[in-house]
Amino acid sequence: MFMSLYLPISGNAINILLLFGLGGIVGFLSGLFGVGGGFLMTPLLIMAGIPSTVAAASDSNQIVAASTSGTYAHYRLGNVDFKMGILLLIGGVAGGTLGVQLIKVLRAMGNADFVIKVTYVVMLGVIGSYMFVESLQSLRRAAPEARPAAPSKPSVYARLVQGLPWQMKFDKSGVTLSALLPLVLGTFVGILAAIMGVGGGFIMVPVMVYLLRMPMHVVVGTSLFQILFTCINVTIMQAISNHTVDLVLAIILLLGSTLGAQFGVRLSRRLKGDQLKILLASIVLLVMVQILVGLVWPPHLLLGYKGGH
Amino acid sequence: MPGKVNRGWKVWILAGLLVLVLTGSVRAESVSVQVTPDVIEISSFYQGAEIALTGSIPAGYQAVAEVTGPARQERLMRKGRRGPLWMNVGELTVSGAPSLYLVSSSEAGLLTGDSPWGLKALAQRLTLGGQVEDREKAKFTEQFLELKQSESLYGAWPGGLQTSPAEDGRVKVTGKFWLPANVKPDTYKVCLIAVQEGKAAGRQCADLPIKMVGFPALLMTLAFEHAALYGILAVVIAIVTGFIMGYLFKGGGGH
Repeated sequence: MFMSLYLPISGNAINILLLFGLGGIVGFLSGLFGVGGGFLMTPLLIMAGIPSTVAAASDSNQIVAASTSGTYAHYRLGNVDFKMGILLLIGGVAGGTLGVQLIKVLRAMGNADFVIKVTYVVMLGVIGSYMFVESLQSLRRAAPEARPAAPSKPSVYARLVQGLPWQMKFDKSGVTLSALLPLVLGTFVGILAAIMGVGGGFIMVPVMVYLLRMPMHVVVGTSLFQILFTCINVTIMQAISNHTVDLVLAIILLLGSTLGAQFGVRLSRRLKGDQLKILLASIVLLVMVQILVGLVWPPHLLLGYKGGH
Repeated sequence: MPGKVNRGWKVWILAGLLVLVLTGSVRAESVSVQVTPDVIEISSFYQGAEIALTGSIPAGYQAVAEVTGPARQERLMRKGRRGPLWMNVGELTVSGAPSLYLVSSSEAGLLTGDSPWGLKALAQRLTLGGQVEDREKAKFTEQFLELKQSESLYGAWPGGLQTSPAEDGRVKVTGKFWLPANVKPDTYKVCLIAVQEGKAAGRQCADLPIKMVGFPALLMTLAFEHAALYGILAVVIAIVTGFIMGYLFKGGGGH
């Protein structure tokens, strides 16, 4: 109980150092990989005793700070592709709006909670496994630097992408592709992010690397830029419609996370792209296993409060 | 109408006198109770609070003390197995459940068996509804009590009250309760009951208001009454902090 602070929206007292530490760890990963960290922070906060709805909403608020700090740091390093980021953001907002409607329907049908968890397991499992295997192969081949974009022979996907209209050159990322691609992929990630209640960075990063063929260091900065705006929108919406944003909780978390993000950004420059990807893949797979165990393991109590997920 | 009201009063007064005669020697005023502190304030550093109960009962009686929150209907999800996976399989409601129920007694036996106090007695007063079959109700009532106990909102301490002879020939009763940090602001009741042969012979209650003050109260008002402003403020604070932290680390670079 030492050094505890009362969180009025959460309706409980939680240790300040614990929250600061959680913020620091997640912020570090955020700066390192360009992910918001929502998929890690929300479950950790629930474990610390915060109601799940408050945990998800306050987490969005703290991601705003961490991604501001991260975007700023990456911007100074020249790692933000604003053109790509804005296109992804437009798609993300459209997809997010669609996803919110979808989740409303799912909730009305019951068991939205289950759908959310299964989506987590599938998405984290697929992305984590693919990234892990791909990065491992890449490391074994001992490629000298972060992979350049173009594959040696044009795949079906590459030919399909080249055939799309509105081809556009993205100088910062060093790629030329159709403006439709980031819009469509942004929409897809937006839908998934809304269903899963996260910023979507951990889906966006692999999408940028594997489907948009962007170099890893630009991916991280651009992803943070996109997450920043997604989470601003989510925080204001949650505050207005659900009153679940706990400002005190968010401030403690964001002090920890902004500090952690800076160290993450520094380390990200010292690691190779494949090393970063394999680390992120391992964390994604670990979270996936934790959620899967929660789905398969018999719960201690067969009752839970309605409204949380 | 006035005639009807007068007749109604007379019936109530007669019934009251009859009850007094039938219940015998112990009158309601023969139990006294005091709670310290008499108001709990939830401020920024509230981590739960201990309340001390002091009271007196007639000599030869035993004591039970209860701290109770207002009853409300709770909405819960029941979990079940579908294939290899555990998921929410239905909604159920629990009516008549106090938001807080802490009970203590001078003798351990007062809260067990068919006693009208304690968690077992409380379970009998709960009504389960929704997607639950009759044969499952006992199991889910038990689960509900376990859920509340895991949050420290329900608890029983048989034999937790101390009794000692008082100077006026009566019995002094003292006890302590811990109110957890997750209690909601509301008015709670602290009751001391004089018990004879397992039955309540007298009872006295005191109100215990729990209210939010200072910064938490201000934040709650802002969050619920000026939600848009609160949301924008939350975002602005986050962006400014992010920039400040980014600026502070500017020299460090990462090149």
